[in-house]
Amino acid sequence: MQYQTDNNSYDALVIGAGIAGGEAALNLANLGYKVLLIDKDLTIGGKMIMLSKVFPTLDCSACITTPKVSEISRHPNIKILTSTQASNITQKSDGTFMAEITTKPRYVEIEDCTGCQLCEEACPVIVKDQYQYDLVGRKAAYIPFSIASPRAAAIDIENCTLCGACERACPTNCIDFTQTDKKITIKCNTVILATGFQLFDPTLIPRYGFGRFKNVITSMQMERQLAPTRPFNTVLRPSDGKLPDNIAYVLCTGSRDKTLGNPICSQVCCMYSTKQAQLLMGALPMADITLYYLHIRAFGKGFNEFYAQAQSMGVEFVKGKVAKITEKENGNLILRYEDINGNVVKETEHDMVVLSVGILPNVGIQELFSGINLELDEFNYVKQTDVLASPAATSINGVFVAGTASAPMDIPDSILSAGAASAEAANYIRKMSEINVSV
Amino acid sequence: MAADNKRTVLIMKEKRTVPQKVKDELKYFTQVKKKILKALKEKEMTVPELAKAIEMQEGDTLYYLMSLLKYGFVETGEIDDMDEYFYYKLKNNG
Ligand SMILES: Cc1cc2nc3c(=O)[nH]c(=O)nc-3n(C[C@H](O)[C@H](O)[C@H](O)COP(=O)(O)OP(=O)(O)OC[C@H]3O[C@@H](n4cnc5c(N)ncnc54)[C@H](O)[C@@H]3O)c2cc1C
Ligand code: SF4
Repeated sequence: MQYQTDNNSYDALVIGAGIAGGEAALNLANLGYKVLLIDKDLTIGGKMIMLSKVFPTLDCSACITTPKVSEISRHPNIKILTSTQASNITQKSDGTFMAEITTKPRYVEIEDCTGCQLCEEACPVIVKDQYQYDLVGRKAAYIPFSIASPRAAAIDIENCTLCGACERACPTNCIDFTQTDKKITIKCNTVILATGFQLFDPTLIPRYGFGRFKNVITSMQMERQLAPTRPFNTVLRPSDGKLPDNIAYVLCTGSRDKTLGNPICSQVCCMYSTKQAQLLMGALPMADITLYYLHIRAFGKGFNEFYAQAQSMGVEFVKGKVAKITEKENGNLILRYEDINGNVVKETEHDMVVLSVGILPNVGIQELFSGINLELDEFNYVKQTDVLASPAATSINGVFVAGTASAPMDIPDSILSAGAASAEAANYIRKMSEINVSV
Repeated sequence: MAADNKRTVLIMKEKRTVPQKVKDELKYFTQVKKKILKALKEKEMTVPELAKAIEMQEGDTLYYLMSLLKYGFVETGEIDDMDEYFYYKLKNNG
């Protein structure tokens, strides 16, 4: 353990560098405030950087995220720490905060890595690539993905054979196996929580067969298959590499279901499934795409038109509750569902099924704090204590929430929410400095 | 910059033992890689054909084949007559 005792002082600590945290950090930095932006992952960008295109405009997600990410990375008022988490956040009597910041070793000096990938080439190991949601392998010495930020290698020590090939191959000597956890204590005036969401784990619905039937995949896996940095040469069935030509979507997987502990709507699955269906019609012009839904939530600006556009392209929308999925010997899947309009139980065959998994709150956010209580709402998201007048306020004065850490929402709403959080945080910082000057 | 040029892995080796599972998986992948490259040297193949040739489950064959494609050993060829499966071949004839 390397302890640093330097007196790190920031105006704001932003926890989570997805689109919400990145936007909030950028707003504060543009106002002249000094921001520490941390993320537990190897890269910033959150889930958005992994998406293919975005509804309802079908803009390329990477093309929108990359300039934003590079603006955040280059901003002189923002310090970014990846592989980093905060703990023991305490509030002093003057309203400011102290936090312990721990950075896990990456075993690569980020500043010296040119991203040449020679280490990756030299590494003999193959393990499942978490950034491709396990569809393909990656090396133990690897750059997370081509548009990762920082675009620097990392060593997956758990799967490393310690052969030293990466270190020998690296032309800049930036690989350093002597790295250990780095801990610093910082002081800050405000904290923004932008810790985002986690995806519903579909193995919790065993009757859908995810994890047993290879051609039942999640929407995030399909998102990757449709992205320019995709795992396969095109959209393929994971069971045998066949081009699928009859794909089903099961909406509301893990959402709006009290028995699974998530009674609320995830807000984005109807629209991202409609988006993927349109993209699939472009990628696989001969394919039939059917969406099994309970209700279509097309509530945002341009969403209903987007839904109508999918229908006019030939995407089939079936109001039906899927009860069970079974697998045939050829890998095809039989969906047994209740046809809600016809009030009958039906069975249909598809060669691939995508589960439109819901959004869940991230766990463990309360434990970041010590001696102060961060309240959660009834669905375990960070509680907004004054939704109408001060939407980013939490139960701790000076701690604000941005993006999906407060509720399921899409990208535009995450950005708006980050705007509110940064405005309220800036106001708090101003008040802090006035009080501290007058004392 | 690394503490001791090109040798820091030796320091890690003193501290850490590589789990047997990691060693076994490397051995397995090395064998699979050899088999796939050997089979594709003979002729271009679809995933089911390749799976048959190397006696491996089709889904696992796809996973390893796509990993080799990602790291530049293999490339995509034409699609079959039924428009169902792509052929894969060695990149630059291996
Ligand atoms: C399959 C799919 C497709 C989608 N498609 C669209 C679309 O087309 N259009 C659209 O508008 N929306 C879409 N969405 C929704 C979109 O992904 C979210 O609105 C957006 O990503 C939310 O951003 P965020 O910053 O709140 O959260 P996240 O993207 O989850 O970012 C949170 C960040 O916080 C980090 N973090 C978490 N906990 C900690 C911690 N304790 N310490 C440090 N860091 C931490 C995480 O590593 C992550 O980087 C889609 C969602 C899914 C699942
Ligand atoms: S670690 Fe070295 S070899 Fe690997 S990408 Fe960075 S500079 Fe290249």
